[in-house]
Amino acid sequence: MSAAGTITADEASERHDRQGERLRGRIAAGFFLAVICALAIVPVATGNTSFAFYLMLWITLASALNIVVGFTGYLPFGYVVFYGVGAYAAGICYKVLGWPIPLALAASGAAGICLALLLAPTLRLKGVYFGIVSLALATIVRLVIANLPSEVTGGSMGLILSSSNNPTHSYYAMLIVMSATLLCVLWLAQSALGKALKAIRDDDGAAACIGVDVPRTRMIAWLLAALFPALAGGVEAWHTNIIDPEYAFHVLITAKSIVYAMAGGFGTIIGPVVGAAALLGIDHLIWQKFPLINLLLLGLVIIALMLFLPRGIVGTVLKRRPQLRRYIA
Amino acid sequence: MSGLLLQGIVNGLIMGVIYGLIGAGLNIVFGVLRVVNFAHGEFVILGAYFAWFLLQALGIQPFLAMPLTFAVFFGASYLLYFALIPPLNKADDPEISSLLLMFGVSISLGALMLLVFDADARSLAIDIEPVFLTFGDVVVPTVRLLALAVALVIVALLAFFLYRTHTGKALRAIIMNRDAVRIVGIKVEQLSAVAFGLGIGLAGVTGILTALVFPSFSPFVGADYTLIGFVVIVLGGLGHPIGAMLGAMLFAVTEQVASIYFNPSIATICGFVLMVATIFIRPTGLLGRQALR
Amino acid sequence: MLKVEGLKKRFGGVVALKGVDFHLPRKSILGVIGMNGSGKTTMLNCINGIYLPDSGSIRLDGQEIGGLPVHVVARRGIGRTFQVPRVFSHLSLLDNLDVAQGQMGRSASERYEAASYWLRKVELFPLRHNFAEELSGGQQKLLELARIMVAKPKVILLDEPFAGVNPGLAQLLIAIIAELPREHDCSVVLVSHDLTSIYQLSHHVIVLNEGALLCEGDADTVRNDPAVIEAYLGT
Repeated sequence: MSAAGTITADEASERHDRQGERLRGRIAAGFFLAVICALAIVPVATGNTSFAFYLMLWITLASALNIVVGFTGYLPFGYVVFYGVGAYAAGICYKVLGWPIPLALAASGAAGICLALLLAPTLRLKGVYFGIVSLALATIVRLVIANLPSEVTGGSMGLILSSSNNPTHSYYAMLIVMSATLLCVLWLAQSALGKALKAIRDDDGAAACIGVDVPRTRMIAWLLAALFPALAGGVEAWHTNIIDPEYAFHVLITAKSIVYAMAGGFGTIIGPVVGAAALLGIDHLIWQKFPLINLLLLGLVIIALMLFLPRGIVGTVLKRRPQLRRYIA
Repeated sequence: MSGLLLQGIVNGLIMGVIYGLIGAGLNIVFGVLRVVNFAHGEFVILGAYFAWFLLQALGIQPFLAMPLTFAVFFGASYLLYFALIPPLNKADDPEISSLLLMFGVSISLGALMLLVFDADARSLAIDIEPVFLTFGDVVVPTVRLLALAVALVIVALLAFFLYRTHTGKALRAIIMNRDAVRIVGIKVEQLSAVAFGLGIGLAGVTGILTALVFPSFSPFVGADYTLIGFVVIVLGGLGHPIGAMLGAMLFAVTEQVASIYFNPSIATICGFVLMVATIFIRPTGLLGRQALR
Repeated sequence: MLKVEGLKKRFGGVVALKGVDFHLPRKSILGVIGMNGSGKTTMLNCINGIYLPDSGSIRLDGQEIGGLPVHVVARRGIGRTFQVPRVFSHLSLLDNLDVAQGQMGRSASERYEAASYWLRKVELFPLRHNFAEELSGGQQKLLELARIMVAKPKVILLDEPFAGVNPGLAQLLIAIIAELPREHDCSVVLVSHDLTSIYQLSHHVIVLNEGALLCEGDADTVRNDPAVIEAYLGT
């Protein structure tokens, strides 16, 4: 074999491999862009935006949860707390403090980040301990908010944001939040940070041994995973005009975020979008008409997924057909 | 004031034993199988409904219903084990997978109970004279004392089973070292099913006790019991069968004493803060020897 | 290059290291042998920051690194592998090596070049898109070695690199380790039970026994040392 021949082969394989990586990113970006464009024309094309609005909400929640579960391996069972705090922050800033909506939404995001910083010490815990403590802390936050003076939080009645509603504006606000979430996930998957996070997920000790600053890297993922649900909570409060203390911290919000992301596949970047769209679609078509059966089916879907499809739709496809890893991330 | 405090402590101790049983069931399943039974609370409630059904339909008194409940729950979950748990071993992270799987069971079971029994709160009423017993400043409902006595008997039976019988010792051996036990030739698979049955059987019986001690139950409160169970075993040491008792006493007394001075939700906050603080100060729990992850 | 003096570490009542000294010159291989529990792995863990030593100093190029966080020690140029390989199971081999270069400010092309060089070296290049979990145990050890080498470390600590590796791969591993000092300006601390390869590779050998240095010297000295013979073969 001649030296020149080897070099050409090297260059060819490098080009091939690096193109693969770019291709994967482009395919995911194209897919996201198609989803965003489709959702952007919904209000223009049809009068009914309710389904599309909640699709965006769930894509946001599932994709943001994916940052912390799929990329770092932490399962926060009290994930809903960020959403709830975001909703309350927007509500209180708008209703009680009289801030304009954009500022109130910014406050949602800030509240999510602050709470994430407050809860950051729990990242020292692992596995089941982390999940349970997260759930306990979410319960504490919910109870604290319920015990604040009712002039601030509206007590058990919740808050009603009268006259703030503009369905089209809040629809596009949610679109922006969702797009930002997807952009962030896309960036993470391509960046050194995202790879470092996945390395931490697989073995944090080994990651530290090759120079990854584990606590700092983990913290960035944690903050991102808190920011987007908090913003989504704020926008949803604005959209519906109501903040209900029961609903804002309901465990089902955590449950559905987990299920949707898991159905698509944790750790894959298009998985949560696929999962949310598929399951929410089924939910909308069939289950919504039977609320009780809906809950039962949600539970059964989780069981079935764990038993038969633990890696989710996209994850399983990539496991079975390694050659597709070149195209799908 | 001190009378009130005493009352709180007595209430706390009674609750503590029952919480301890919830935790013990959870802990056996986790210790032996490394399965985080998120549906434990729903099984507790299901036990209460089962006793309610036996009372309404067949006129069987709750205390008499306990052995039957245990047998039925044990048998059913022994079989359930083989359907649910073995596939988890292939997962990348079996513990987290088990948590999610049992979360699904929890939601399904809660919804199922809601379908069958409706959302109304039920209660298990039994007539005992006198209704209250008074000891100085402390007033205790008779039924609570009975429940306490029964709970203590169950704890004693459980301890006897785990520390004195062959099967119990084998179970504890699995908790300590799963791989070594396999080599020694103990049938891990079958024993795991026994542990699963035992944990859920305990949940069913505990459900009857909770229904006697607390005024009512409904399909919605399962998750609360699960959370209490977790708090208790994290306090006592994850995987330590009797450590749960100590954690439960501590948690229940804190909660009950706090509920004298503050409103109930502040009392719950106190209990949870206690757990979170414990985890950070002593990650192994009060009795746990090593952090189990 | 790497100088360790008076390294002590105790766990509760157990003294794992009773004061170990050694010096690893540039471009050399130091073999470390000792029975199970003699403190070999503890010593590596102290050097790369997993454990905080109780006392003693660890200096790399004259700079104290004892007690620094693990990732800082790694960035200063100390790499290590583990007895049981610890690869990132759900990352491709290329990504495994990419993570190791994440902090170095290299361009994508430079990272790829380094990664493909080392993957070829350990003969895993054709598998570069596979997940690391799809490799055999021995291949994972090779991947681990490649993963630390892409970062151009000054010193690497290899903990039982030959354990559980089939003879063919072990030969490859030995050949690669042998050329590290000269070709890649990398010094090696090699911990192993496999005396043959230790004697074959090492420029200098130390023998640990119950947390203390039993003897040291070149391969021949150690091989013929009566204390070592007694410890290993009994009398």
